[in-house]
Amino acid sequence: MTADRRSGGRAVGTVLLAVAALSASRPDRLTAQDSQFGIRSLGTPGRWESVRSRSTGGAFAPFDPLSPLAEAALADVPQLVATAMQAASYREAEVAGTTSALRETRYPLLNVTGRVHPRLAISAGYTTYLDRSWDVTLRDSVPLRGGLERYTDEVTSDGSIADLRVAAASRLTRRIAIGAGLHLLAGSTRETAERRFDDTTFHTVQQLAEVRYSGVGVSGSVLLGIAPGLTVIGWARADNRLRATVADTTSAETDLPRMAGGGILLAPSPSVRLGGSVAWRGWARAGGGAFDTWSWSAGGEIGSGHTPLRFGVRGGQLPFGPGPTAPTEFAAAAGTGRAFAQGRALLDVGVERLERRGGGLTERVWTALVGLTVRP
Amino acid sequence: MIARRATVIGGVLLAAACVERVSAPGHCPSFCPSGQIQTVDTVLTDVISRDSTYRGYVTAPHAPVILAADLPGFVEGRGIVRFNGYGARMRLGTTDTTTGAILSADSARLQLTVARRDTGAHNLTLAFYRLPITIDSTTTFADLAGPFTDSLVKRVNLDTLLARPGRKDTLTGDSVVVDTTNHVLVLHLKFDTAAARYMGTDSGTVAYGVGVSADSLASIGITKATLAWQWYVRVDSAGTPVARTPGSLGAAFASFVFNPPAPPLDSTLAVGGVPSARSILRVAFPRFIRDSSQIIRGTLILVPAAPVQGAPSDSFVVEAHTVFTDVGAKSPVIVDATRTDTAVIHAGVSDTVQIEVTNLMQFWASDTTRATTLVLRPKAEATSFSLIRFYPSAAQAFRPALHITFVRRFPFGAP
Repeated sequence: MTADRRSGGRAVGTVLLAVAALSASRPDRLTAQDSQFGIRSLGTPGRWESVRSRSTGGAFAPFDPLSPLAEAALADVPQLVATAMQAASYREAEVAGTTSALRETRYPLLNVTGRVHPRLAISAGYTTYLDRSWDVTLRDSVPLRGGLERYTDEVTSDGSIADLRVAAASRLTRRIAIGAGLHLLAGSTRETAERRFDDTTFHTVQQLAEVRYSGVGVSGSVLLGIAPGLTVIGWARADNRLRATVADTTSAETDLPRMAGGGILLAPSPSVRLGGSVAWRGWARAGGGAFDTWSWSAGGEIGSGHTPLRFGVRGGQLPFGPGPTAPTEFAAAAGTGRAFAQGRALLDVGVERLERRGGGLTERVWTALVGLTVRP
Repeated sequence: MIARRATVIGGVLLAAACVERVSAPGHCPSFCPSGQIQTVDTVLTDVISRDSTYRGYVTAPHAPVILAADLPGFVEGRGIVRFNGYGARMRLGTTDTTTGAILSADSARLQLTVARRDTGAHNLTLAFYRLPITIDSTTTFADLAGPFTDSLVKRVNLDTLLARPGRKDTLTGDSVVVDTTNHVLVLHLKFDTAAARYMGTDSGTVAYGVGVSADSLASIGITKATLAWQWYVRVDSAGTPVARTPGSLGAAFASFVFNPPAPPLDSTLAVGGVPSARSILRVAFPRFIRDSSQIIRGTLILVPAAPVQGAPSDSFVVEAHTVFTDVGAKSPVIVDATRTDTAVIHAGVSDTVQIEVTNLMQFWASDTTRATTLVLRPKAEATSFSLIRFYPSAAQAFRPALHITFVRRFPFGAP
């Protein structure tokens, strides 16, 4: 009893520490890793994966109740669980022989999941739907008043669109579980446009706006236990339109994609789990320069003790790019986790190496991932 | 064990420490935002109307300088100044209240500052004439034709004086100091007994006129505020004349007269001259620029109807102001350095004048309740005979215009 109280106190302390650490940032930092491919488009789609899933290349995401991808996996959550993650990216963007070193820290996931009935589990939280944080500088000139006036432009966007999800799941039979979710898309970006002329006779242009975004979506999924140690899942999601408003005036409305995917999870032994997943997203609805995408992932987790080893790879296409075909990406990831406080707190860490190519641009990204899960 | 955990956790937190650097060079159009900053450059030829000119804001007696000029075909200007005296008697000492009659003046010394002259003028000569002490603001050039003909009391050649060792003429007692900081000449001129007569019946009041001549380009400005007159008098002290040097006197009246008088106003837009003229222009500021654009440069274009007359040193600065409210000639001008734009008007030049009015236009755009009225006036009014005349809006081919460079509203929120 005393030991339980002590460990419970540690868990509560860990939760408080986690909440303090992961919420001590501006709201616009609650975004995912960005990309130069997202500048001339709606943004960079987020990854709806916890650190554990992302360390397996995303292969476990459909089966992970803490990853807001497929709701059916929530059905097997035994108790209240809260998770959050942080991702620090170091990115090199190389285009036309010029390399830019970029870095950012994001808090792309917060999720609370619990069981409210023996046959019903619910979840609420947010993840990044689209990241719209970038800063572009440009040197150019324009003919003005009989001369060529040189200037420097800086256009920035800081913020993101979050996917606020409320989901529920139920295990119908020993082999079948289903889930559904309602998604509220909300967010804002602070955008600025500045032009400084070399000739100061021309005054500096400075414009800024707060752009607000809104939209809704629904999702559903089915989890099937094919055989002991073999599970498959299928999921689908439909979002309607993303409305952008500036000063209460709608500036743009963009169709959002339908998407679907599936996965397979194989557990030949209690200490070995292997998974794979595939997803299709119909981003071409979003307009010119957008593409429907396929993505895949495969990964595994070895070890059932306190420090499992995770690894995985993934690949596929990016929805936005300048050329006639969608840019591609490939990533390899690895990670591990550590349980504390008699398993009530889990610290997951991971690292991911990602490469994106398309339209003459190559991005190489190292991302350090830290996730904290609490089971009070 | 604890140390190892602490190391692991510390390493993880260090790797995930908050960092931010998202600025990158743009490679357009592929990797730039779809929206661009659009610059528009246009000349608005029909937005200025209801323009008019008014005169009389600053007259010769109220000008900060005395103008003297001899510019054949343009103007001849003469300075006039009066110094009031001490009366018929004065105290013999600072502690002695006893007074004595002022018998005569040994001499006097005039200090004057030449604030503006043309360095290209050779043999620049100042001629001083004794004038009636009744001169005032109503005195005209014609009224003083006689004294300026037959009452010469002193003549000083500035070039000769400047060329002397130490810039002093030991014979006449005149000297000059060149103030290179303020770019002025400070003259100390001695008036002998004949030139400076202390008349007790006039209370010691004297008046002089200043004429100027040169081989060419004879035009100067004398600062009124620094004029000083120093008497050296003899006072009767119990039957014995004693020398006394009372305190110096400032000018009781200082002005100038000129011929011909300022030409009457016509349909052109005049700025400058004496009495000073201002022009008022009403601008129909386009709503689409004011409401949804950002002005980055605005230039007022004015076409002179004739070259500006005068010596090169008569060049002056024209300021463009806006007003608190437009009530015509007496519209109160907003005098604010951040909302004042200027242009230098060079004498003898008839090129198109361009005045940058960016600050004013941005001011109008930021406060749409303001009257979009421009007032053109000289920076220092009535300090030059030169006057510029611009074509008015009624002259279709040469009417005032606004050259505006602006940026449209950036398409924020567009994918």
